[in-house]
Amino acid sequence: MKAFANQNAGSASAAVSRAREAIGRGQSVSFVAGGTDLLQLMKDRVVNRPGSDLPDVLVNLKTIPGLDDVRLSGPDAFTVGGMMTLDALSRHTVIRDEYTVLAEAAESVATPQIRKAGTVAGNVCQRPWCWYYRNGFECHKAGGSVCFSVRGENQLHAIFGGGPSFIVHPSDLAPALVALDASFRIVGPDGQRFLSGADFFVLPSEDAQHENVLRDDEVLVSVELPIRPSEAGVRSAFHKVMDREAWTHALASAAVVLEMDGDVCRTARIVLGGVAPIPWRVPEAEGQLAGKRITPELARRVGEVAIAGARAMSRNAYKIPLTREVVERTVLSLAASA
Amino acid sequence: MSQEQASRPLEAMNTVGRNVPRIDAYERVTGKATYTRDVRLPGMLYARILRSPHPHARIRSIDISRAEALPGVRSVVTHETHQLIYSSGSVAGGRQYNDAAKDITTHLRYMFDNPVRYVGQPVAAVAAVDRHVAEEALQLIDIDYEELPFVIDAERALEPGAALVWPEGNLALDYQNQARPMVRRVGDVSAGLQAADRVFEDRYTTAFVQDGQMEPRSALAEWHGDKVTIHTPTQGISNCRHDNARDLGLEDHQVQIVCKYMGGGFGDKNGSYYFDLIAATLAKEADAPVLLELTRKDDWLGTHGRWHTIQDFKVGVKQDGTVTAIQMHGYSGMGPYLRRSGGISGIEVYACPNTERIIYPVHTNRMVSGNFRAPSDPQGFFAMQSMMDDIAYKLGIDPVDFAKQNMLRPTEDVRFTNYTMEECIERGAQLFDWQGRRRPEPGSDPGPVKRGAGMSFMMFRSGVGPSSAILRVDSEQRYTLFVGVTDIGPGAKTTMALIAAEELGVPLSQVEVVWGDTDRCPYSVGESGSRTTTQTGYAVVQAAIDLKEQIAESGMPTGDEVLIASATPTPSTQGRRRMCFGAHLVEVETDVRLGYVRISKYVAVHESGRILNPLPARDQIRGAALQGIGQALHEDLLYDARNGHPLTAGYYGARHLTHMDAPEIEVTFIETDDGFGPYGAKTVGEAGIILGPAAVANAIFNAIGHRMRDLPITRAKILEALS
Amino acid sequence: MDRKKPEKEPRELPESHEPQEGAHLSRRDFLEGAGAALVVAGGAPKLGVAESRTAVVAPQEAEAVPRTRIRLTVNGTEHRLDVEDRWTLNELLRDHIELTGSKIGCNRGECGACTVLLDGEPIYSCSTLAVWADGRAVQTVEGLEQDGELTPLQQAFIDHDAAQCGFCTPGQLMTATAMLNQNSSPTAGEVREALVGNLCRCSNYNAIVEAVLASTGSGGAP
Repeated sequence: MKAFANQNAGSASAAVSRAREAIGRGQSVSFVAGGTDLLQLMKDRVVNRPGSDLPDVLVNLKTIPGLDDVRLSGPDAFTVGGMMTLDALSRHTVIRDEYTVLAEAAESVATPQIRKAGTVAGNVCQRPWCWYYRNGFECHKAGGSVCFSVRGENQLHAIFGGGPSFIVHPSDLAPALVALDASFRIVGPDGQRFLSGADFFVLPSEDAQHENVLRDDEVLVSVELPIRPSEAGVRSAFHKVMDREAWTHALASAAVVLEMDGDVCRTARIVLGGVAPIPWRVPEAEGQLAGKRITPELARRVGEVAIAGARAMSRNAYKIPLTREVVERTVLSLAASA
Repeated sequence: MSQEQASRPLEAMNTVGRNVPRIDAYERVTGKATYTRDVRLPGMLYARILRSPHPHARIRSIDISRAEALPGVRSVVTHETHQLIYSSGSVAGGRQYNDAAKDITTHLRYMFDNPVRYVGQPVAAVAAVDRHVAEEALQLIDIDYEELPFVIDAERALEPGAALVWPEGNLALDYQNQARPMVRRVGDVSAGLQAADRVFEDRYTTAFVQDGQMEPRSALAEWHGDKVTIHTPTQGISNCRHDNARDLGLEDHQVQIVCKYMGGGFGDKNGSYYFDLIAATLAKEADAPVLLELTRKDDWLGTHGRWHTIQDFKVGVKQDGTVTAIQMHGYSGMGPYLRRSGGISGIEVYACPNTERIIYPVHTNRMVSGNFRAPSDPQGFFAMQSMMDDIAYKLGIDPVDFAKQNMLRPTEDVRFTNYTMEECIERGAQLFDWQGRRRPEPGSDPGPVKRGAGMSFMMFRSGVGPSSAILRVDSEQRYTLFVGVTDIGPGAKTTMALIAAEELGVPLSQVEVVWGDTDRCPYSVGESGSRTTTQTGYAVVQAAIDLKEQIAESGMPTGDEVLIASATPTPSTQGRRRMCFGAHLVEVETDVRLGYVRISKYVAVHESGRILNPLPARDQIRGAALQGIGQALHEDLLYDARNGHPLTAGYYGARHLTHMDAPEIEVTFIETDDGFGPYGAKTVGEAGIILGPAAVANAIFNAIGHRMRDLPITRAKILEALS
Repeated sequence: MDRKKPEKEPRELPESHEPQEGAHLSRRDFLEGAGAALVVAGGAPKLGVAESRTAVVAPQEAEAVPRTRIRLTVNGTEHRLDVEDRWTLNELLRDHIELTGSKIGCNRGECGACTVLLDGEPIYSCSTLAVWADGRAVQTVEGLEQDGELTPLQQAFIDHDAAQCGFCTPGQLMTATAMLNQNSSPTAGEVREALVGNLCRCSNYNAIVEAVLASTGSGGAP
């Protein structure tokens, strides 16, 4: 690997300062959490931050105290620290019981070894796994201006929201967080800000080079999960389809959160993964469930509405019926879990 | 002299047939086993290879001055500094162990080629004080490439107007340097097709599969005067030595090859590699030992794998199911160099009197193909037995009955040392409950979860041939066995030791094995081609017999004396075929709306003669069967045809099986002793991989009612087929 | 199954290397001619060839490779080491502490051959920097055997033929050891899930699972 300096940050604002100092010196800098993905990119000499070089400086976020757990941050929210490992997240009793979709998403990631190092923030901010980007092609994601999947090998690429880049968002946590209406807390040079999922993740049509709004000197520090009133009857699940049993990014996934009133669904949030450059909410499909009892026929209809706007590229048409199926089955499984 | 020995009863002997833990298992479970990169030499440098980013290009200029100037860099080599032929990398007719073929090869492959002909081909190498400096130095090598037209598709490569990999054309040159396909004809296939009631035609295709052994390759070279020692993970220390000596312009005795442990072979490593040459050259230039490490991506693209194929069949059958003609015209994608044969097996298990097989080994600008566990077989058996399975169902005949009706059996002209192909199928069908699991009407389960069963059967060469062993005894009655094995995983060291112990009539603990070093071990054919147990093992038996005779004549040695016996037998089966036989039966559970396939039962029945060591034999079959499942459902190397670049190199990209993907494989051995080999032992290592893709594919057809004709059978393909 | 989180002492942050002024070429310097820039139309990747935007350390400054002093306990022995920031934990163990039992299978976190235990948890040592292990405890395969005695798991691997070529074996052993510390009587399914991050190309998966189960005394057949 190219030589770089590891700098341990003692706080989020110190991390930001370190990054800005490095940028000011004309150096390339990357924040690093678990590092399992970033080190791969660096070894393969793949650009992490578009417009930047291989890092001269890694600002290590793991040394920031207080970011590796779940804590009650007020009457209305749990804060999940950005440095919490995926393993710890998937085992946390509050997450398992109250935010099941998130626990299931976390435990679907990769392998135990990766989950013991990989973090919430790292997973959400992970770069795409498109084989063009990862093989060093100078595409949008590397700071270039072309997408090689167009009229190319696009078996794993987007059926929603694509253009000019057609990557699919690689994070499993991201659809779950959006389905939970999580708030993303960012710390930067101007202090902190909170963004909804809709504002945090960015479509290629807005910015083809990045998957989220983070600038080079900003850090995703934590995510906040709203606490719903106990009578809300919330059920949630995450279902991920892969082309082997484990250790693969989603071909299609569904994160579903239902607020039930007895066996009638009051509200639904359905967010798809593996099919779009951002976690893909499907509000029309959600609307099919409002005020209804969930039956197999309704679940089927929800799936069909979810894929209504899908557009196949030349080699990924199979994702469309697959996505419909995943949505249908996840919704139905929640109806059964009364 | 007849090589047959008296058959012995098949219960376990003293050592043979009993579970013997591997003699080096302790080293493997404690981290003490020294693989190539675990060897440390004083003053050792680290090296890295720079590789072509283009599928076909001429190097106009190459400037290494900035790399050489980087502090810590000790030598840099390119095609301009050294022109060494890598003679085992491209051979007329793909005849690997054949010096005469190498002498006439015209499509030469060099240590560094210009032009370069595949993405990943080496163009330069650097040795430096550590691997990071070596990697950074690669970035400082400036190359001006002139990109040339390239071709990725094996069929298109033979069409007029295709980009030329070689000036004479893209059909590989055979053993006589002629651009001719491999042709095998029996009887008259046109007449056979005429005589048929129905003729079926179909195309089957199979993807390239990388060997993917867990140890990424390396070479550690050190010179002592005019002699070089190379530590390298090779399956064949003798062939590796001979090839490297040839290419370095040395005599065999000036090259020492050492391999004590290696992390997987699978058939492609019985000989030298270009990186042996690179390490030796860097070491000579830098006057220091050089460890050249391949990254996993280097290893994936820069070594070899099972050739991808396109197979077009025409099969004629009578209404009663008798096959009257089999015609297969196929293409094997070999990459730009013909390193191995490109063969496609499968027709030979049928008795059909009229067959024609024409195979075009084709050059393309993909990575180079080579041997992988039964190199010609799983891809051919998948296609042939899917075709036959399809025909059976179209005629309304149970595939097991169809197989029995058409399989090759011993005749006046076709003689075997023994024959159990039918017995393997019958035993398999019984253990598997074929009648209970097979759906007479494919796809008939109500969806979306559908089950189905498929079968496949085979015979595979387990010939006899020469190899060598040396056995020595000292006055303390310790026996030392010198054999040129390296043990790629099947446990060859242990197998050789227990054969010696058995024949000598002594406990295994009195036998020590010296292996893996050409300075200390006699010639060995190397551990590929299913020859170690049968050939080297037989040599061990003969050496032990010789030693016992010496002991009988002159008594045990005393004091400092030793007795030494060596054997290089050349047995012969007198014109009889010696084969191992087998049948695999698979049940799958599919979910057709998710494209999901799960293997719910896998039965493997094998007749591999006498089983010398039950646990490793069983695990050879289980492991090979799982590799077959990987080939059937997952593994591929995808190329972008627009730029000739491989996209899925590596374990993640190729989706290798994990623990959770691996079903339990139920293995049954039918034991025999045909009087050949050591105690009647036959090959086990390659046998297990041949039938997996066929059996799995046939099971999928039975479950979903749709014939999948292209490996790997992925979720995406199933969903597309059914939508 | 609730796990107790290990008590964490406040850790002394290691000295981290302050980058020197001018220690590295700036990107601007590089693009303005400090190094040969190759721009190839079509944007195909360059596989190791000098990329136009990769900053390269100029020869005279190659010595300024950032280093850090760390403390690390390995198999019970404390080491004080001066490491390059870019060394992975795997490199540190293999090349500088001479513990070659942990392997490199891919160096990318795709195979598991490099698995070691870091504070008792299995991680890919190829995907962890040595500096991040400062103040922590590592266990490798060499640390399993105690006073010449193999663990029941190691013995079971020998007895059940769980090592073919043996290259994945150290990683499988470390992951299984950690699993058994948490769950001493797993089912076959739990073993497969716990070990899913350890590939075996010999595909000796059946035997590995059998060996793990046998080591718990719960029998060999999955």
